[in-house]
Amino acid sequence: MYQYTPFDTQFVKQRAAQFRDQLQRNLAGTLGDDEFRALRLQNGWYIQRHAPMARIAVPYGELSATQLRMLARIAREFDRGYAHFTTRQNCQYNWIPLPKAADVMDLLASVSMHGIQTSGNCIRNITSDCFAGVAADEIIDPRPYCEILRQWSTLNPEFAFLPRKFKIAVSGAHEDRAAIAWHDIGLQLLKNEAGEIGFKVLVGGGMGRTPVIGTVINEFLPWQQVLVYLEAIVRVYNRYGRRDNMYKARIKILVKAEGQRFLDDVAEEFKKILELDSDGREQIIPQAEFDRVAAHFVTPAGVAPVVGGTTDGSPITAPAGAPAAFQRWLERNVHPHRLAGYRSVTLSLKRTGQAPGDITDAQMELAADLADRFSQAELRVSHDQNLVLPWVRESDLFALWEAARAASFATPNIGLLTDMIACPGGDFCALANARSIPIAEAITERFDDIDELYDIGDIDLHISGCINSCGHHHSGHIGILGVDKDGSEWYQVTLGGLDGSAISGHQSTPGKVIGPSFAADEVPDVIEAVLDTYRQQRSTAAERFIDTVTRIGLDPFKTAANAQRRSTAKA
Amino acid sequence: MKFIDTVRDPWRTITGEDGPMVTLTPAPNSLLTLAQWHGVRNTWPAGMTVGVQFPNDADIEDLADDLPRLALVVLHFPKWVDGRAYSQARLLRSRYRYAGEVRATGEVVVDMMPLLQRTGFDAVVLRADQSIEIAERALNFFPGHYQADVHEHRPLFKRPAGEETTNREFNQAGSAI
Repeated sequence: MYQYTPFDTQFVKQRAAQFRDQLQRNLAGTLGDDEFRALRLQNGWYIQRHAPMARIAVPYGELSATQLRMLARIAREFDRGYAHFTTRQNCQYNWIPLPKAADVMDLLASVSMHGIQTSGNCIRNITSDCFAGVAADEIIDPRPYCEILRQWSTLNPEFAFLPRKFKIAVSGAHEDRAAIAWHDIGLQLLKNEAGEIGFKVLVGGGMGRTPVIGTVINEFLPWQQVLVYLEAIVRVYNRYGRRDNMYKARIKILVKAEGQRFLDDVAEEFKKILELDSDGREQIIPQAEFDRVAAHFVTPAGVAPVVGGTTDGSPITAPAGAPAAFQRWLERNVHPHRLAGYRSVTLSLKRTGQAPGDITDAQMELAADLADRFSQAELRVSHDQNLVLPWVRESDLFALWEAARAASFATPNIGLLTDMIACPGGDFCALANARSIPIAEAITERFDDIDELYDIGDIDLHISGCINSCGHHHSGHIGILGVDKDGSEWYQVTLGGLDGSAISGHQSTPGKVIGPSFAADEVPDVIEAVLDTYRQQRSTAAERFIDTVTRIGLDPFKTAANAQRRSTAKA
Repeated sequence: MKFIDTVRDPWRTITGEDGPMVTLTPAPNSLLTLAQWHGVRNTWPAGMTVGVQFPNDADIEDLADDLPRLALVVLHFPKWVDGRAYSQARLLRSRYRYAGEVRATGEVVVDMMPLLQRTGFDAVVLRADQSIEIAERALNFFPGHYQADVHEHRPLFKRPAGEETTNREFNQAGSAI
């Protein structure tokens, strides 16, 4: 994984010093709260329900065991002993007092971490495939490109105060595990017929009040030009994006309003940068720079293909007499690898008694130990809010399973109903209209029978506590959205959302609302009724939930869901 | 970075009781609104210094032909978190090679300094409550940056190894605070 150069190290230390200066001026009363707000946001510090929320960047989801131990230490010494991993592969704390913020930033800087641009109206932490560099279906490893983009976007002076936040996701595999069409810019690495590497570029995707799927703006952009091209897109957005209404300020609104004119503007701006600007052509990435960055992402020294191992991702069968739970874990939590004899393994952060994506300091230490023992001291944070060990030898799987089980990471539910995405919701977030965690918990408890979960099969359940959509409810096969009516919590249920992955048919689309909002205590019944309908209606046992929804339409599900109304029946 | 003392500033706007005057007599160091400039640019005497206040929602391209005649372009921040003028300044310098003064006005606060400097501003009118001392300090936190900017035309990856960390005074100025 990427190792900081002396320049990078000095840079994050100075960023921490700059933040300390701003914090001290704020605490001394010479920097007003309003102005400090925009500055602290660009370092990841929100003011939330209980205390500031700190969002720490995990660039493209890659994390070392050392870094994870520091996150554990911060949770223990500054927070209440836990942290939360997000759909954008970041790590959040909820209880750190603001006066301690600069000390936390110094500790993070000591392990090459920071909160730069994890919030605010700027280019956010760039996300990617959690199996980048190890996936069996990878076309091109996206990590070197992600790192080059990280550097380009970090404290880019022209783009620090955009109309609204700006999110970029990069995928380099056949399977889209980064939901790229749902981002302000989505980049898909591919090869053209001549074998040259480039990006398919999507622009203007996003969730929120107005879910929009990104538009393809370039079918093949040579990789060397990506910084110039992104500068063109972001400059057009910075100049013409709406600033009069924050709900209409994302680039998706500009792309929709301008249509072809937006695409033409970007093409023209791109041309002008290259032809006219004093630094335009300097931004074309030389092969030597790519090679320098890519050298950080080579296969670790201790890893070599195992003779006789397979790379086709064929399922591994547990030896006779092995526990059934181990077999299930092999099926759900173990993934194909590009190297013979290796697998990547998901440590599930979805289990009864803990909110989705939550992890205690002790669990973080245990995960770091597992990474040391089994995965070259490297981990990933997944878009689905789990941790991944990317370099596990097949021969170590049983030992890893036993150790993971002891650390509560071995729930064999990856891709199943209880592997749901959920934001922290109204328990923590000041923006939320409703709580997410009790809904997630109620559903997890209702479906605690593993046989039933397996029978329901592959499904994406996504829960957001408000329309900001941090829990990606729009892209869930089942989406649950918290809404506020007359000061109480209600939940809108959508069906048929698609995130762009293979199980979603490589399609991206927002789900459709199945009726008026439900009361909190009706939600688990509604989910159960929807799933019962699926199980009655599916054509074969192999037909997945989303395929049944597509085939028979929403009406049977609506009928079943509406039959669950009690308190909302009168309304 | 030049910090403008508005009392001593030689530039004068031409404002009547009802706002900017439509008819005006050319005088040196006139700082005109864009509309005023459009009214006089065909008759403005060659060699007489003139500046233009350019709104942040207008296309800076429209000023390109006039730039050789302008000694000052004032770009405006109606709110300090409205970043449009950064793009305008950057285009003035990088695309049109404008060499006159680019000045920031409006809600200009000290923490904008690094962004202003790197996008091409060389003068600022700080908001009245802001401190020049803190503004100068804010300029010195980083020894270098990843991207190119209007002063350093090469991104970090195009600079020779080692060059980026030679600026010791910047390092120390930042870390001493």
